Amino acid sequence: MDAYDKGSDARQGLGRDGREGPPGPDDAAEQTGGSDGTEEASAPGETGETGKTGETVEVPEAREVPVAPSGPRTGFAALSPRYQVGAVAALVAVAVAVCAHIGLVFLHVAPSNTLTKEHGSAVDEWVFPEFEQNWKLFAPNPLQQNVAVQVRAEVGTADGGIRTTGWYDLSAEDGRAIDGNPLPSHTVQNELRRAWDFFVSSHDSEDRPVGLRGSLSETYLRRIALLRLDRNGAAGPGGVVERVQYRSRTTNVEPPPWSGEKVSDRPTYRELPWWSVTPERNDGNRDDGNRKDGARKDAGEGGAA
Amino acid sequence: MNGIALSVSRGIARATGAALGPYQTAVIRIGFAATWLLFLLRELPHRDELYGPGGPWSHDLAEQMVGDNGAFTALLWSDGRAWFEIVYALAVLSSLLLLLGWRTRTVSVLFMVGVLSLQNRSVFMGDGGDNVLHLMSIYLVLTRCGQVWSLDARRARRADAARARGERVVDRVGPVLWCVFGFLLLTVTLAGGMDGDWLVPVLLWAVWAALGLWWAVGRLAEGSQPRILLDVVTNIVHNGALVVIMAEACLIYATAGWYKIQGSRWQDGTAVYYPLHLDYFSPWPALSDALAASGTMVMLITYGTVAVQVAFPFTLFNRRVKNVLLAVMMIEHAVIAVTLGLPFFSLAMIAADVVFLPTSFLRRAGGWVARGRARLPGRLSAGAPGSGRDGGDRGGGTAAVPGPRTEPGAGPGDGKDSGEDSGRDGEDAGKRGGDAGERGEGSEETHVGFRA
Repeated sequence: MDAYDKGSDARQGLGRDGREGPPGPDDAAEQTGGSDGTEEASAPGETGETGKTGETVEVPEAREVPVAPSGPRTGFAALSPRYQVGAVAALVAVAVAVCAHIGLVFLHVAPSNTLTKEHGSAVDEWVFPEFEQNWKLFAPNPLQQNVAVQVRAEVGTADGGIRTTGWYDLSAEDGRAIDGNPLPSHTVQNELRRAWDFFVSSHDSEDRPVGLRGSLSETYLRRIALLRLDRNGAAGPGGVVERVQYRSRTTNVEPPPWSGEKVSDRPTYRELPWWSVTPERNDGNRDDGNRKDGARKDAGEGGAA
Repeated sequence: MNGIALSVSRGIARATGAALGPYQTAVIRIGFAATWLLFLLRELPHRDELYGPGGPWSHDLAEQMVGDNGAFTALLWSDGRAWFEIVYALAVLSSLLLLLGWRTRTVSVLFMVGVLSLQNRSVFMGDGGDNVLHLMSIYLVLTRCGQVWSLDARRARRADAARARGERVVDRVGPVLWCVFGFLLLTVTLAGGMDGDWLVPVLLWAVWAALGLWWAVGRLAEGSQPRILLDVVTNIVHNGALVVIMAEACLIYATAGWYKIQGSRWQDGTAVYYPLHLDYFSPWPALSDALAASGTMVMLITYGTVAVQVAFPFTLFNRRVKNVLLAVMMIEHAVIAVTLGLPFFSLAMIAADVVFLPTSFLRRAGGWVARGRARLPGRLSAGAPGSGRDGGDRGGGTAAVPGPRTEPGAGPGDGKDSGEDSGRDGEDAGKRGGDAGERGEGSEETHVGFRA
């Protein structure tokens, strides 16, 4: 901060010269504030808008007058030696805490290295859950593929039959909601996109869930599917969504024309197994979770189409 | 040796004598509070889907996740709709009050609780902007971010004015807030609502205890030793938090920059082209196409982005270069807000950048705002954040703002100003008059000054 404060002193003059605005009221204001002794006299003399501006300006100036005399009474120098010990102790403690925090957060965002290999658990212990951070947005490389997440459903119809819907391109729906929108909602920009990332990161290449997060992500995707299918009226009158299936359609972004690079423009698909869902979204979660393994076996290897 | 001792003592005086960067901390307080407020208002129609009991990330899922990572969220204390609505409303209210700087310390705690509660409830709804707000809401609690440009500052001025007239200033709001705060904390702690990670509960209790201490010590005489010591310690904590905030901003840029350097697309100068062609980040396809039309431009922006991000932390050692880079980064974030459709992320990043702006610029900008306000005739009677009834009052509300353009010598007073101010945060609940404002009329404020 040092630099700024000093700088501000040094530059005050510059700033004043360079600023815009009608000179009249401002100059008045400046004088008012500028000479501490006179402000009381000049303030009442001003009228209307100028008066207001003037007053606005004076107050802090006026406050500085008394500050000076009371200055010695605050801060470290005003403390008796006994209390100074306390202040130094606080200073040391805060300095240590600040350095430790910055160091640990640094190790958290740094690549795996000698120190994190040895003390990684201590770093995680401190950083999680509240100081977690990931700033690798578009790094090391920006995403170069459009991942469209699509879903379809098996609907139990009112007459007791089973009907399979077509694929709903949920990402395309999100894209349409974002297009031309200066303030895209997190519900269209992050919800499905991050849920899919969460699923991918918590499952192995065979679509098997890894740990707690794996099963959480499946339940989450199921619920998103139900929400979105419901919005699309997929079940139709009297119908009930019984099972859902996800797939992702990944298309390379065409490289810029000047790069001369060629990438395949054929989309690749990753199709997940059918998951059974219970119609009552709020009650059905836990059951869902328990039943999903069965459902997964039914569907076998979804694989990439 | 003498030189070392001298600079050590000078360093101690600097770190303890004042809560540094009063304008910087005030403006990031306003920036983050405004970002979160605007976000919450924008998502008002979607609040249930994002954080509510009816959203796809159900209460049950959130409970399992939080049970695993121990994150703090008040939203899981109940799965009822009413509780959710209360928390959301409190989050909105706290961000508005923090923006205005009303009882800043207490409200900053409430703000943090609101941010953490919503974000930790639904971790997969957020993006980088939410992450910045998450961290900064915690750091802000430790700062004296209401020293200027706040209702607290105005209240302190009015209390001083009242005292100068020989009136007794009694603050009733502070102690009441403190008791409510303590009662809620105790209830929640006993009910097991804070059984997760220790950090946030400890922080909440520590702030509550500190507020109580401030009140107790505030009853002692002005120059008494415990009172000065508490002021010094509060300054130290503030200055430490300010360092952390700045370091955090540097880490954000350094991480983003250094990892980019390793990417082939950032090396071959096409990286910027790709996000502009992602369906999720191209709200204005025609604009994206126009921006990505020239290979040379894309290459320059790509290299420029990496260079600026990597260089930024080092430029802090040179004021002029730092300010240029700061301007470049703010412009880039403003462009990102539009082209990639990330307005709240950009706003949060700009708010973080602002902490590096020079005091002189912030004070001048404050002056423009104050003058702009004064020129809006309609606002004179309507816009007061508090209860101002007259024009002079209104001026008082923003008084701390324009002080700077008044005189060249104002700078040094800055530090002292803040030191003086610092005793007046919302935290020293007891001694200042919340009701002083009732009496403090505009014209009197010119006499403010000496504290008896």
